[in-house]
Amino acid sequence: MTAPVPPPPPANVPAPAIEVLKVSKWYGNVVAVNDISFSLGAGITGLLGPNGAGTSTMLHMLAGFLRPSAGAVRVLGQDAWHNPSLYAHIGLVPEREAVYPFLTGWEFVRLSAQLHGLPDPEAATRRAIAEVDLSTAQDRATGGYSKGMKQRVKIAAAIVHDPRILILDEPFNGADPRQRLHMMGMLRRMAAEGRTIVFSSHILEEVERLAEDVLVIVTGRLAASGDFREIRRLMTDRPHTFNVRSSDNRRLAAALVGIPAVTGLDLEDGRLAVRSSDFGALTRVLAPLARDSGVSLFEVLPADESLESVFSYLVKR
Amino acid sequence: MSMPVAWLTLRQLLGAKRTLLLIAAALLPITLALVFRLTGPEVEPARFVARTLLGRLVVGTMLPLSALVLGTAAIGSEIEDGTAVYLLSKPLPRRVILLPKLAVSAGLTLIFMVVVTLAAGLIAAGGEPDGGAVVAGFAVAVAAGAVVYSALFVMLSVYTTRAFIAGLIYVFLWEQVVTRIFTGTRILSVRQATLAIADGVANVSSTVFDADLATWKALVMMAAVTTIATIYAIRRLSRFEIGETS
Repeated sequence: MTAPVPPPPPANVPAPAIEVLKVSKWYGNVVAVNDISFSLGAGITGLLGPNGAGTSTMLHMLAGFLRPSAGAVRVLGQDAWHNPSLYAHIGLVPEREAVYPFLTGWEFVRLSAQLHGLPDPEAATRRAIAEVDLSTAQDRATGGYSKGMKQRVKIAAAIVHDPRILILDEPFNGADPRQRLHMMGMLRRMAAEGRTIVFSSHILEEVERLAEDVLVIVTGRLAASGDFREIRRLMTDRPHTFNVRSSDNRRLAAALVGIPAVTGLDLEDGRLAVRSSDFGALTRVLAPLARDSGVSLFEVLPADESLESVFSYLVKR
Repeated sequence: MSMPVAWLTLRQLLGAKRTLLLIAAALLPITLALVFRLTGPEVEPARFVARTLLGRLVVGTMLPLSALVLGTAAIGSEIEDGTAVYLLSKPLPRRVILLPKLAVSAGLTLIFMVVVTLAAGLIAAGGEPDGGAVVAGFAVAVAAGAVVYSALFVMLSVYTTRAFIAGLIYVFLWEQVVTRIFTGTRILSVRQATLAIADGVANVSSTVFDADLATWKALVMMAAVTTIATIYAIRRLSRFEIGETS
């Protein structure tokens, strides 16, 4: 499912929370985002792309901070750009680490609650700080916070008004594994309550573990979107590599040379790397071929099952 | 007027380094006034205060520099370090964010400069002929100048990340050099307008002090610059783009 233009939803399906319609953004001659369309409903979506791919630009447009050069970004049915009233429904966690260093964590989150005009900012602040597990440090100046604590206080400020949409730019930067798990659990809970959550990350494991859907942006274009495993399956023309350990790698390699599905073989460090253009065919012939050659297979591991390999492939393509 | 934004801006602007810098700067005219008073030179005190101490040092240098430091920090520093996003991602009309920031920076500049003007002026010319009138005239003028300069520098900080340098160019190149060479440009000088207000309020003999600009022209110019700068700053903030090509 690559670069789809979403069809209009059927009448009985709720309108998506975020709609991106043929959006481009350029700075002079530099095209940061090129003709991207997608729509997002409730759930968690991961936005993935290398540096300079256009992910931050995309998030900034979703948050209404950048005007698209072409196309439209609509949030809850309204134009995102130049529309501050939408922020009553959006929570935003920016990538930059900076917070007001002279404010305590409590003051920082309460400021957010006050600016949202909440009827009981103190109670909302207490709830948001507890949600990110920062109550013990709430009275310390944020200037003295660690990177992970700053991330958490930023998230608390973003969720203090209980937004329907949460946009997070690299939210797990600096968080330790325990905090990361805690935040992932919180985001999953919020998504289960029907909220739309979109986050960017360069840590592919995070995307894989948290996101139900993935948007892959490469050089400003939407290279792929949808379920991660679905994306993997749809890329049929992608070469696969298996690392094989056997009783006789050299003999197995010689037997594999004649198989049309095998496009390359490498013998190194006691293992045999087998490259194939046809995932299905190779997995069907490998075991019988090894048996017929008198070779015992100890281990057959796909070398490219991570999101990173999918991503690297898309970048190169 | 958003009180949380005003409170935040006050905390930002009263940071230790900035406050120490301004207090250190305030000591200069007060020290000069003390030296003048103690050494008792032959020059008429009211004339010295109007033309040199308050006219040149306070209105010509300290007022614009204080307004520049506070005005460009009121929102410009947040834009620079990225914290502006915490204000701009709230469901508030942009004027509700900008006006308290302008009010706090102008208010702090005003209070600080009026105190310096009164202290230095009264030390040097208190009880002397025309001394009281000159000091009162400059106190009123400095208050008006603080508002105009602040509006100008807050607007600059929303338009450019190099607002401080642009402000320095305005103060030291335009106001100190260009307006001296080309007298027709004085109508576009906040400094000249401030001196004109001081002249109009003090109403002293021209041998003591005489501004180059008519008071009514100064009032019109100050009102126009403050209004236009504020409207432009709000408009610019409304269309402010935060982002990067990554």
